[in-house]
This record gives sequence, C-alpha cells and structure tokens, in this order.
Amino acid sequence: MSQNPYMPKLAKIIQIKVEVSGERPIKTFRTQFMNKNEFSFRSGQAAMVSVFGKGESMFSISSSPLTKDYLQFSILKMGRVTSSLHEMEKGDIMGIRGPYGNGFPLEEWKGKNLIFIGGGIGLAPIWSVLQTALGKKEDYKDLTLFYGARSSNDLIFKKELEELKDKIKVSLSIDVEEPEWDEFVGFVPQNVTDKKPSPENTIAITCGPPIMIKFVIKALKELEFNDDQIYTTVENKMKCGIGKCGRCNIGSHYVCKDGPVYTWAELKKLPQEY
Amino acid sequence: MDKILKKNSLSQWIKKLESYTIYAPVKKDQVWEYEIMESPDNIELDYPNTVLSPKKIIFPQREVFLEFNRSDENDLEIKEILPEEKPTIVFGVRPCDARALTITDKVFRSDIKDIYYSKKREQTTLVGLACNTPPSPHCFCTSVGGNPYSKEGLDILMTDLGDRYYIESITEKGYKLINSAKNLFTQPKTEDKKALEKNRTESKKKIQQQIKDIDKIPPKLNQMFDSPFWDEQSLGCIRCGICTYICPTCHCFDISDEITSTFPLQGKRIRTWDTCQFPSFTMHSSGHNPRPDRASRLRQRVFHKFQYFVERYQEYMCIGCGRCVDQCPVGINIIEILKKVRDYESKSLHAKTS
Repeated sequence: MSQNPYMPKLAKIIQIKVEVSGERPIKTFRTQFMNKNEFSFRSGQAAMVSVFGKGESMFSISSSPLTKDYLQFSILKMGRVTSSLHEMEKGDIMGIRGPYGNGFPLEEWKGKNLIFIGGGIGLAPIWSVLQTALGKKEDYKDLTLFYGARSSNDLIFKKELEELKDKIKVSLSIDVEEPEWDEFVGFVPQNVTDKKPSPENTIAITCGPPIMIKFVIKALKELEFNDDQIYTTVENKMKCGIGKCGRCNIGSHYVCKDGPVYTWAELKKLPQEY
Repeated sequence: MDKILKKNSLSQWIKKLESYTIYAPVKKDQVWEYEIMESPDNIELDYPNTVLSPKKIIFPQREVFLEFNRSDENDLEIKEILPEEKPTIVFGVRPCDARALTITDKVFRSDIKDIYYSKKREQTTLVGLACNTPPSPHCFCTSVGGNPYSKEGLDILMTDLGDRYYIESITEKGYKLINSAKNLFTQPKTEDKKALEKNRTESKKKIQQQIKDIDKIPPKLNQMFDSPFWDEQSLGCIRCGICTYICPTCHCFDISDEITSTFPLQGKRIRTWDTCQFPSFTMHSSGHNPRPDRASRLRQRVFHKFQYFVERYQEYMCIGCGRCVDQCPVGINIIEILKKVRDYESKSLHAKTS
C-alpha cells in the first residue's frame, strides 16, 4: 500500500440521485472502490474527492460506516469541483483519499438521548451519524431529528426522511409558507425553540450553514443545554487533509485534522475566525 | 569532528564529491540564488542572503504528485510520481536557513509523513557557512533562538578564518563528505580554535537588530486577536505575498490539477507554494471568507509564526533572516511589528487584564 498521503484511490460512481434541482442543486453519489480497498472511517469524518483534471474538494461522508458496500457523498453544486461532479454520470471514475478528521464520539454518547439538528446540505454529515446511531439503537435513548431547508424542494433525502418517521421523532421545517406543507414554517432554530427539547441526559448535534449553527446554539443555550452537550462541525477550505498545507486553521487547530467535530465548549475558546 | 581546510583546497574537495548533485550560491542578474554548480573552480562563498533559501531544494515551488490518463470513457489510470533518487549537497547554507528546515521538518516529517519533503531532506547534505558579517541589515537570528554559527539542521559547519575554513562535522552525513577527501583536511591547532572563538564573539556582536523579551509576544498576541492594531499595520499591504514566498519557514501550499490534453484527458496533479496573504487562500466556494481582509491576513502571518506554531510545536516559526523585511515593497517590517506587539497597551487590553 502506498505510504503517500496525497495518493487517491480510484472509485466508480455506482448511483447518482438528484436530491434537489433548481438553482442550488444537490446530488447524492454512491461510490465503490475499484480495488476493494479497505476504507474504514467514523461518522463525521470527511474524504478528499478528486475529479481528475479539475482538482480535489473535501466532503463529509453521508453514509454510515455500517454500510460496507458503498461510500456516499451528498454534494451541493457550488464551485469548480462540485460543478464537475454534477456533470458526472454513473460509471464515471473519481478519486478518493482519506478519511480525515476526528468524527463524532458516538461511544461517549451511549445511554443518552441524541438530538440531530440539520439545515440544508448540513444533513449530509448528520445522516451518517444518525444512521450509525440507528444501527445500534439499543445503545441510545431517544433519537430526534430536526431538519429544515429554504423550501420543501431544498430538503434532501425526502423519501428516506418519510421512512425515518416510523423509527424516530422527525420534525421538518421550511423557511417560508407553502400550500401543501403541514409541518413547521420558520427557521430551524425557531423550530427547536418551539419544540423545547429537554437537555436532560441529552447530546445535541448541529450541522448546517454557519448562521444557522450560531442561532441553533443560541436556542439550545436558552433551553439550558451546556456547552459540552452541543456538538457541531466546522468547514474550511482544505487542500491536504493532514494539517500541513496551512489554510483550514482556526487558531492553532487544523480543522482537517483536529476537527471538523467540536463541542461548543471547545469551539468558543478558539479565535472566532471561520 | 573538527578539521581545517585551506581555502585553495575547497575546489579539490568539491571535485571529490562528483557523485552528488551540488547546489551552491550563484550570482545571477544582481541577486544570489542556490543553483546546481557547474564548475567547482568558481565556487564563491562570500555572498549576502540568497533570494530563496535552500527550502526550494527540499520543498520546491512546484512538484508533481501524480499523472492521470483517461484512455477511454470507462477507464482512468493514475501514476504516482515520487521524488527521484538524487543524493544532493547544498554548499554555503546560512545557519538560519538550516534552522528553518528543522522547523519545516516538524510539519512535514512528524505525524503523517510527507514523503516528498522527507525523501529530499534525507538525501540532502547541508554544508553550512557561519556568518562572519550579517548577510542582511535586517538579520535578527539571535532574537529567535539562533545565532550566526548555529549548527541546528546542518551536517557540516564551515567558518571562514581568512585563508582557511574551520570545518565541524555534525552528523554522519557530514562526516562522510569529509571522509571522501581525507588528505585535504588537517587537524585544527590551538590557534585555529582561538581564532574560531574570537570570530564567533565578533560575529554575534555584529547583529544589529534585536527584539528583547520576545517571550512576551505569544501571550500578548493571545489578547490582541480583535485589536485594531492589525488594521493599522496592514494598511500598506498590496497582498503580493512576497513575505511568505521568500520565507524559509513558510510552508503553506496548494494542490491543483494541470491538464496537458483534454481528449484523451491527461494531466498532472501538482503541489505549488501558496500564501496566506492571498484572499483566495481561505475563500470558500460560496464566497464566504474567514480571512476577508488585509488585517486578518497579516494577523494570520504573525500569529502563525509567533503564536499558533509556538502552541503546537513550542518554537517560533521564524529564524530571523530578515528576508521579508528586505523584500516587502511597502515596508511592512515584522521586527517593528513584533516590538509593537510586545509593547502594546490599549484600553481594551487593560480592561481584559485588570
């Protein structure tokens, strides 16, 4: 095996699903390594995806480590690499290296209630950790998901969310009123405030746009969650994934290596530059 | 192991080392650069600072990681490109520049090893030259833990004693070079040792720039993250990035793809130097930028060197060569900035500390 940390492994796209169409399209890609490489990771970790000729970008893995037959990424079309990914087809080959980062400490959460709070594409990292927790449901108490997006069209994993409602509490929200919508209307943090989850023996995990995370934390603090009961993920531009290229740092922390998962207790001590 | 080498024997010694690729300082277009030496007869070791330090040999400005080739729609090959086997010697390395490599070693050779850097570092022997006079008017090595005759990172240290060099072999790699031309070297006499000591005392005194109480700076910086100081200090910055490109300890890089053919798709993945002084360095594809202005980028440069790196590796990420001060087109001077940080007092600081 190569000792070269910059060398990707080749993977084939085995399925592409359009999650969101329109101006901010999101697609979910399922990939399989071409050489049956062992790729073991923890929920919350990320991988560097290559589109050869375009470059690399870091994405959180949206499948669970319990799923062995594919590695899944849900990707919002935004820049050079993501736009090329959105043009790719089933059978196309990409490169993957990693996994990178710390991941969620699921072991430490045993015996607790878990509340997942996601916004937009932020459901991708949550989906991995949520599926892992569901796979070992007996280890945890109540699982709850709050998830919202700008509109019903912008929600990802729509079908999977419907199925999930049979297993755990799911509370969806959209930012503005729509005719057929019978769930919460308003921003994700408002939905959390509205449903008043108890902080008792509970861990809250929130991923989404930075502005949403900021207000979710505020909402959770008002519900008397402690700083170390709140987990979030940070995103920064990355190139190497191994704490060397020097760009994803927040203070002396490299998000690619020391993050992307932080408790609010940890994150608030760092320089507010992310 | 200490030896004496007559100056007129230097070229003979180098001739014995022909199995190596040898870099030495060469004057080109009015500036000095480390280049592959063409003839040992013209080696000149009386030179000011080179524009780039030997960092460029170990961690080149551009290097290829892999090549990709899509022969047909459903097949893509990637070929790993590793650094070539090439035993190398760099002659006339300034002690500060060698110390810089011990600093970048911490980044590239610890934890997950960067095989490109490590391979070149391992196959390169560094022959240093002590600075009898400071190569730059902005040298401040003694303020950041170095000195004009530091051996850190070197394999051999040579000191110019007029008609001869005092040669100290520091590592096994250095010993090997001396051993390959044993008969050219003689044992140092008492007078040589005395001359060496005298030389050291004098060379240290010649360093003009001093930053006293530098240890006060990292804790002070911790209180200055949100200070308007960074706006004031960065006003002149034209974000050219020269301060980081010519820095022997700066090591930030970019990885990108270069296409040589579109049909069939062929190209290379390359690493190039990058700089925290460019807005694009940290800009997300959404347009959000955690370091959106000159102030936050200058702050990053100073904090990385004198706070974050210290926190991570208990060492300054600066060797006091003065290049960034020499080269900045608008006169941003890290020595002055550091002194101001050390002495910085403000109402908000008082409020925090009282």
